[in-house]
Amino acid sequence: MERVPAVEGLFSEKDGKAELIGSRCTTCKTAYFPKAAICHNPKCDKSEIEEHRFGGRGKLWSYSVQNFPPPPPHKFDAPYKIYALGVVDLADSGLRLMGQMQVENFDEIKIGGTVELVVDALYHENDKEFTSWKFKPVA
Amino acid sequence: MQEVQVIGVGLHAFGKTGDKVVGNKSVTELCRTAVDAALKDAGVSWRDIQAVSAASSRFSGGKGWGLNGNDVVEEMGSTGVPVYNLSAGCAAGGNAFNIGYTLVASGQHDIVLVVGGEVMPKGFIQTSGVEEVTDPEFLRQRCVGMPGPSFWSLLARRRMFEYGTTEEQFAKVAVKARKCSVHNPYARFQSEITVEDVLKSPYVSDPLRLFEICPVSNGAAAVVLCSKERAKKFSGKAVTVAASTVATMQFDDGLPRGLASVIPSGATLHSEAKGAVTKAFERAGVGPRDVSLTELQDNTVYYELAFPEEWELCKPGEAESLVEKGETLPTGKMPINPSGGFVSFGEATTAMGVFQVCELTWQLRGESGGRQVPNAKIGLGQTLGLGGNATAVILKK
Ligand SMILES: [Zn+2]
Repeated sequence: MERVPAVEGLFSEKDGKAELIGSRCTTCKTAYFPKAAICHNPKCDKSEIEEHRFGGRGKLWSYSVQNFPPPPPHKFDAPYKIYALGVVDLADSGLRLMGQMQVENFDEIKIGGTVELVVDALYHENDKEFTSWKFKPVA
Repeated sequence: MQEVQVIGVGLHAFGKTGDKVVGNKSVTELCRTAVDAALKDAGVSWRDIQAVSAASSRFSGGKGWGLNGNDVVEEMGSTGVPVYNLSAGCAAGGNAFNIGYTLVASGQHDIVLVVGGEVMPKGFIQTSGVEEVTDPEFLRQRCVGMPGPSFWSLLARRRMFEYGTTEEQFAKVAVKARKCSVHNPYARFQSEITVEDVLKSPYVSDPLRLFEICPVSNGAAAVVLCSKERAKKFSGKAVTVAASTVATMQFDDGLPRGLASVIPSGATLHSEAKGAVTKAFERAGVGPRDVSLTELQDNTVYYELAFPEEWELCKPGEAESLVEKGETLPTGKMPINPSGGFVSFGEATTAMGVFQVCELTWQLRGESGGRQVPNAKIGLGQTLGLGGNATAVILKK
């Protein structure tokens, strides 16, 4: 089955690992995802934006569980399966990022724990698998 | 600047489409009831109103353009008055109040009506429906799937991690809210519940349960503002607007908005709310500990714990014990949401900032019956809306 991103141009996939396509201001080091054309930091004197890829590992700041099917524009496969989502701090780049968790069991999720950015299926439609980045706890 | 007073307030009781309270009334009908009540309370006639500041709804009325103030003026009788329609997500009612206040304080007008009303669609609040990849809200919902409750439970879960808050303690906040609601004839829910009831209600987003999250409601609120000079001629029950402020978020705020934000250097989460409240304290010349009661935006019980700490009404990590000791009840030393709050009313989004002013006014007049805060002198109200909008208001006797 063809595997395509749920939204084009936001991330790329290599061996199941996610690389988010964002940007970064070289003057004030602010990280942006999705990418920003200009730096939005009011304390920054000179906007110098370069493309930047985010990936690898981060630390889980918090998480929640989506007990009920969310409304559109979210899409999911039927029957609905409860998922967890997390907020992850990528300390090296200063980015705080949202995403779904990729876990078998919610007990695997620990605040402060290390997670890895992966790409995983979000839903299936028209014989295609639509993907997004997710966070996978690292044991 | 001239001193501004609240001389009249009115609400349409809150309910759910199809119930006995709101039935199938349109937003304009709900607003009419609230406006009539506020005018009567103030002792003024519709013809005395010199300008209208209204909250814009994206859900109901307003000719599809958020022109809800124009609907109200047509309903009441077109007198040619200026109308301001304000949009600020869930902070719109607070924004409308601020503009109404400014119109009087600046001396442009002496008597201004502030109004907000809502007929809400069922279920979770959805995004605009526009599938546009430049819209961060669309990206967040498509790629992650994070409706409001799930966003709130991220914060609740973080608090459990930081302070050891238990699910039972979250439940106790809902129990307190509903204890107050019993004495509020305008609340959608007016019955007491127990900790067991709350813990038996299903998770909407673990760790937050159905009874700990405000549903959407239909309702309306109206306030008549007047210069101190003119107010002498009307109601003898005026309370003073000591401050009305608006703020937006700071760049380094760490609240997860959109797909990503920056990791903040400090504990900053709701910088717009903190900004509005702090500015209100400064302008009113009062400190957080001087406040007799607070009406804050409790979309979920989490906020009743977090906000008082963020605004220094109490110490960080202290809120749970204050709830457990009954100190957030109307008779406690830090009364929070004696109205019953959003948890008891449900959220009629754009009405809420105006609704809070109604409750603060009744409290300061000593007219709140069984939910009255004894000897209430200074009341604080606060809203928070999509887009990083927030407002605060301080009323004093
Ligand atoms: Zn910069």
